[in-house]
Amino acid sequence: MNENKAAQIRQLETDTEQLMEKIRQEKDIKKKQKLIAEREKKQRKLTAVRNNRVLSRETKRDLVAYSFIAPNFIGFAVFTLVPIVFAFALAFMKWDGSNEITFVGIDNFTRLADDTFFLAAFRNTIIYVIGTVPLTMVASLALAIVLNQKIKARGFFRTVAFFPYVASLVAITAVWSMIFHPSKGPVNYLLLKVFGVPQENLPKWFSGSLVLFTLILFSVWKYMGYYMVIYLAGLQGISAELYEAGSLDGANTWQKFKYITWPQLRSTTFFVVVMLTINCFKVYDIAVMLAGGGDGKLSTSATVLVYYIYQNAFNYWDLGYSSAIAMVLFLMVLIITLIQFRYEKKINS
Amino acid sequence: MKRKLLSILLTTSMLAAVLSGCGSGSGGSESAPEPAAEAESAPAEAEEETAQAPEAEAEETASGEAITLKWAIWDKDITPYWQAIKDTYEASHENVTIEMTDLGSTDYMTVLATELSGSGSEFDVVTIKDVPGYATLVSKNTLEPLDSYIADAGIDLAQYGGVDKQVTVDGSLYELPFRNDFWVVFYNKDIFDNAGVAYPTNDMTFEEYDALAKQVTDTTYGAQVYGTHYHTWRSAVQLFGVLDGQHSILDGQYDFFTPYYEMVLGQEDEQVCRNYADLSAEGLHYSAAFSGGDVAMLNMGSWFISTMIANIQSGEYDASLCGNWGMVKYPHAEGVEAGSTLGTITGLAVTSVSDQKDAAFEFVKWVSGEEGAKVMAETGNFPALMNDEIADIISGLEGFPTDAESKEALKVSNLYLEVPYAENVSAINDILDTYHKSIMNREISIEEGIAAMNEEVGKLGQ
Repeated sequence: MNENKAAQIRQLETDTEQLMEKIRQEKDIKKKQKLIAEREKKQRKLTAVRNNRVLSRETKRDLVAYSFIAPNFIGFAVFTLVPIVFAFALAFMKWDGSNEITFVGIDNFTRLADDTFFLAAFRNTIIYVIGTVPLTMVASLALAIVLNQKIKARGFFRTVAFFPYVASLVAITAVWSMIFHPSKGPVNYLLLKVFGVPQENLPKWFSGSLVLFTLILFSVWKYMGYYMVIYLAGLQGISAELYEAGSLDGANTWQKFKYITWPQLRSTTFFVVVMLTINCFKVYDIAVMLAGGGDGKLSTSATVLVYYIYQNAFNYWDLGYSSAIAMVLFLMVLIITLIQFRYEKKINS
Repeated sequence: MKRKLLSILLTTSMLAAVLSGCGSGSGGSESAPEPAAEAESAPAEAEEETAQAPEAEAEETASGEAITLKWAIWDKDITPYWQAIKDTYEASHENVTIEMTDLGSTDYMTVLATELSGSGSEFDVVTIKDVPGYATLVSKNTLEPLDSYIADAGIDLAQYGGVDKQVTVDGSLYELPFRNDFWVVFYNKDIFDNAGVAYPTNDMTFEEYDALAKQVTDTTYGAQVYGTHYHTWRSAVQLFGVLDGQHSILDGQYDFFTPYYEMVLGQEDEQVCRNYADLSAEGLHYSAAFSGGDVAMLNMGSWFISTMIANIQSGEYDASLCGNWGMVKYPHAEGVEAGSTLGTITGLAVTSVSDQKDAAFEFVKWVSGEEGAKVMAETGNFPALMNDEIADIISGLEGFPTDAESKEALKVSNLYLEVPYAENVSAINDILDTYHKSIMNREISIEEGIAAMNEEVGKLGQ
């Protein structure tokens, strides 16, 4: 046993020396680096053998690190990574979940162009995102700035602004449907009595062209509290000295906002916009609850991509087509997020 | 050295804890909870195995061996007949145990389709709630064709009055109906008495029905009475059109809906019925509308009879508002026989994965046969197998309207399924639903809506 070990050590020693020689002779930088790495590896092994260790210190350290990553990664792989890859493959297949999978090439994608309901869902989702993202951002920033001042009952107002975010969606959509009820709601009552809108022209908030507007309004109201909290955290990170310096130089409120607050909040705004965009593309529950009526089905005026994905997957069991729509949604979100990251990088440099 | 050993021990134990903690949390939730589940289900499985193993021989020896049938149903607690069927069947078939699994009613067919996808389903018998879901299950090859069983058992399908033909798939039948609801017009006698208007009759044309609804309507603010009420389902409006027996929702051309949309939207304009946009915003249930005492007539399925009887008896509905009710046959188009109406069937099917198909079919046969029909009728529900005896049981129930007209209303001459079978009926159903919604919300005109239906359904055939 010991003899064996001694032989191994000797072998390794000669190996490292030979490598050292090679390194001295080698002219090419890249090859040299490679050789150096190889020599280091041998040396590590040598120390390991000398000290009677099975694994070198480095391997051990790496293993410990991986073992900490593993639990999360396994979960991610099983429940996210594998399904995503599978869905990507399914987009080129036809499958109903029971019978055999058949390959159909890009048929699922060519079908999209002529699908009235897909196009309606696509259009509605885009309008919803374009409407919701900037409005929510502006509203939450404004709220954060106001509630960052030293005003009376600040905690109370912060809670009020945050409340819609924590309240149950089902409950608050029920309240909204009563407030915006087309014939009995207080909003339409005001329009009728105070603004003199004739009864037959009263807006129907949950159907036709207005429904997207209602959805946007609802989302802004519900989510502004959450992003307000993020902005508040950002605002509190801005050093008071900056404002003091601004005051000394005679900056007015607007100038302070423009030259201090806004630039300082840039990374917060970036985070808010990215999260908002992603979340808005995934809209489903709000649309179904507000515009779904009794049976939770959405007509072309209110349908959104995620709803259509669900419908195709679990009503028609056309999993391939459903995956194709999911891919469109995925790519759209991916591209927009990449553009946002690129833009952020450009501004930073 | 000792310290080192200790630290290694600690690290490994910590790691093990982290790993196992995650295992039950997210990572291996498929594997981790299994030991516990296994422990619970072990006796059940063992039982099942003993039930299945001798099953092969038991086929010849018929009864004797213990059999457990797994049955998928919905709303066990508020639907009286599941338990009644189970109890009665088990009483007469001592070796059989029925195990019911409640999948909930809201998305029953979706959940069932998911359960039956892939492997691992344990159901022997499944209840079929609607035809689109039935079409899905058939196309997924999850149901057993029943033709050979039906032939062997010598069942005469004529007893179902032809509805079986509307769910036959390429010449094969995959379900047997046990419940059959048909649409009638419910009316509130007090409202007609107060208005001094004669009751609706069992032989009304649509013109007469429309005129009657307008006659009994009162638009005085605060004392409003609606002549009629349409629930938000498309069946409540569109399907007046299929009663002539010449049209069906599978036609692909839907211009025959037009007169009925015109009638209903016209009634909305004159406040003869509540408007659709309001109903959909508040999600008003038809039972709340009718039991509120301000709706004179309501077209609805016969399932509402047992609801009315039960809720008036329990005091849930105010008897002074809606206690004096009756019903008549559906109105009909000019020149069409009275008593033509819409129907919805509920059926039972045997799954293709079941390994005790004979026992399962035996149960299906029993429930959809005469004995099952009696159980259904005694709980106030309409079995698919209707005859005079069954009709007498239902009209004899306490709380059923006592007038002769109401009893007569139970006689159906032609029954057209709300949704007959077609391969892509799920998609057709959704297209019609969508544009029904758009028309009723007045997002688009009737012509535009019908044109869109024609176009979209036309695309499906390509």
